[in-house]
Amino acid sequence: MASPSPIPYDRRSSRASSTAGQPASDLLVVGGPPNSPSPLELFLRASNLPSSKTRISKIPPDLHMLEYVSSCDTNLICLICHSPFDKPVKLACDHYFCRDCLDHAFEVQPDGHKTCPTCRGRVDTDTGVLPVPKILEKMLDELVVKCPNTKSGCTWVDSRVNVNDHVMLYCEYTLVECPSHECRLPIFQKEFHKGCLHYTLSCEHCHTSLMKKDLEVGYITQRHQKTHCSNRFTACPHCDAEVLRLDLKVHVNDSCPKMVIPCPGTILGCHFTAERTEVIKHENACPMATMAPHFRDQQARIERNEARFEPLARKVGILEDGLSNITNMLYPANPNDSSFPVTNPLDPNHSDAFPPAPLIPTPDFRLPPASFPPVPPTNDQSQTPFNNPSQPPFDSQVHHLLTLHDSLRDEVSRIANALTDLEGRTNMMIINENQRVKDEMLHTNAAINSMRMQLHWLMSATLHQRTSNSTGTSTARAGGSTSSNSNGNGRAQGASGASTSLGARAEASGTLHAPMRRLSDSTRQDTKL
Amino acid sequence: MFASKRLSKELSKLHDHLPPGIELIQADDFAEWLMDIRVIDSNPLYQDEVYRLKFSFSQSYPIEAPEVVFVKDATHPIPWHPHVYSNGIICLDLLDRQGWSPVHNVESICVSLQSMLTSNTKKERPPGDEQFVKYNTQRPRDINFVFHDNQV
Ligand SMILES: [Zn+2]
Ligand SMILES: [Zn+2]
Ligand SMILES: [Zn+2]
Ligand SMILES: [Zn+2]
Ligand SMILES: [Zn+2]
Ligand SMILES: [Zn+2]
Ligand SMILES: [Zn+2]
Repeated sequence: MASPSPIPYDRRSSRASSTAGQPASDLLVVGGPPNSPSPLELFLRASNLPSSKTRISKIPPDLHMLEYVSSCDTNLICLICHSPFDKPVKLACDHYFCRDCLDHAFEVQPDGHKTCPTCRGRVDTDTGVLPVPKILEKMLDELVVKCPNTKSGCTWVDSRVNVNDHVMLYCEYTLVECPSHECRLPIFQKEFHKGCLHYTLSCEHCHTSLMKKDLEVGYITQRHQKTHCSNRFTACPHCDAEVLRLDLKVHVNDSCPKMVIPCPGTILGCHFTAERTEVIKHENACPMATMAPHFRDQQARIERNEARFEPLARKVGILEDGLSNITNMLYPANPNDSSFPVTNPLDPNHSDAFPPAPLIPTPDFRLPPASFPPVPPTNDQSQTPFNNPSQPPFDSQVHHLLTLHDSLRDEVSRIANALTDLEGRTNMMIINENQRVKDEMLHTNAAINSMRMQLHWLMSATLHQRTSNSTGTSTARAGGSTSSNSNGNGRAQGASGASTSLGARAEASGTLHAPMRRLSDSTRQDTKL
Repeated sequence: MFASKRLSKELSKLHDHLPPGIELIQADDFAEWLMDIRVIDSNPLYQDEVYRLKFSFSQSYPIEAPEVVFVKDATHPIPWHPHVYSNGIICLDLLDRQGWSPVHNVESICVSLQSMLTSNTKKERPPGDEQFVKYNTQRPRDINFVFHDNQV
């Protein structure tokens, strides 16, 4: 390269160039079609080969050769290569070129006199070649291209930014070298796992030699048999027309005029059978042939419906099963309650299909006498006449079900009422109980507090007595000192007694023990309240 | 490779659209093309005449200029122009090594030649035409023309 200027290559190109720079032995196929060997397998395979033979190399796609799906804005086209820019760079004069194209153009220019191909302005290759705006790269990345292997059969079409990954990793039609040791011919990646296909076979029709690999690729085989094969035509055994071997079956089934076929009215009973041309004539006259398509439609519809009906029937069976289970669960068997046998008139075998639990010898639909709340027997007969054994059985299943439903609803509402009642009562009970407990708690608290107070009093009194005893004369100023001491003692002893006299006593004890007394006084009053 | 890529793109564009007075005659490969040009205004020098151009591309086209000459046959004369020798060699800076730029293309060369003819009024050959035609053995691109006239 003539101009090693510091242009930051974009992500794609740096990856591509680093790939190209690696030794071929490191180039392993990672990924591929689902039926191709896993990367690990390929790696093992490759590592088993002598290193000189490891050569599964792929060539990164040349962006200049890509086929663009949509026409590209002319501003994105490099004036040198006439393709959308690949790794574009910008010159100081605001002219854009592909990195490679510019390098090629500079190659033929004398050193130190590089000029812009468009405007011939001088270009300093060290500082004059600038990166392009990001938006330009973005627009280029988003151009939609076809896979470079489109001619081989790949149908991939996507943004240009992905083409490198597609070709290097995913495209089934990327050429790789044949896995065989002796053979170095290229082969599609999707056939890599099939081993060497580079041997010749002969076409079954014309005995032309073809590469096995070409026969493998379906569309080439078809193309050969359609257009190249010298023996591609054959005479129809019925009408002697020349048809492609590929199309012979279609011809015989659908269009051969001499083929003997039955009248399309066969399904309706027409027994006419003749060559196709005759049958076509007959068709116009045959009413059964005219009807046939409609009948076929109807047939198809009936079959569709039958197919739909079958799962429905199964579903109904399951549901009936479940319903009877539920019924049994709700109204556990009462062995004495066989007085109201309600059989299912629609399905007399019902109980056979779903054998009842051992405890329930009665059929599925039974009234639940056990679950009715205790009502006066007189009311019972008037309200629920069907409960009376003398009454005739229900006129219909529906009636029975409706009555059953009503009784169930009544019961549910009764249960709901009972529940509400119960809830109210429970609530009341809880509140009352709570109140009681709260009161008790208050009492206990008060008692505890008073006890603490007494203790306090006792303690302070004792302490005080001790101090006054030890200091002796120093604390006793006035003549009333002894009397006050005795007074304090007396008070301490009486503290456990009547608390009401305490205020007066504290008053009487004067200012001598002011701090202690005031403290205990205030506390005392609090607890009293 | 580079040349054929670029030429295939140019070719598909030429098939699509051509400026008036320019016609693609033959482009069977990526080595030699034939184009016809015709002056579209009423310059009496070139009235009713069609000139045939032969483009020869090297492997390094478009980095290297193509060789472009007028060819003479029964129906296509060599146009009179002070920069066109009577053997068809054209003295145009655009086609010279110094004057060429890879941003030019077949179409732009044709248009340039067309306008070169359009603007000409002198029915003459370059000075020393006879000598040159007689003794020149060089290929057009190797001749160092002295561009005596910049008004082409
Ligand atoms: Zn370019
Ligand atoms: Zn420029
Ligand atoms: Zn592909
Ligand atoms: Zn092989
Ligand atoms: Zn064949
Ligand atoms: Zn036939
Ligand atoms: Zn019929």
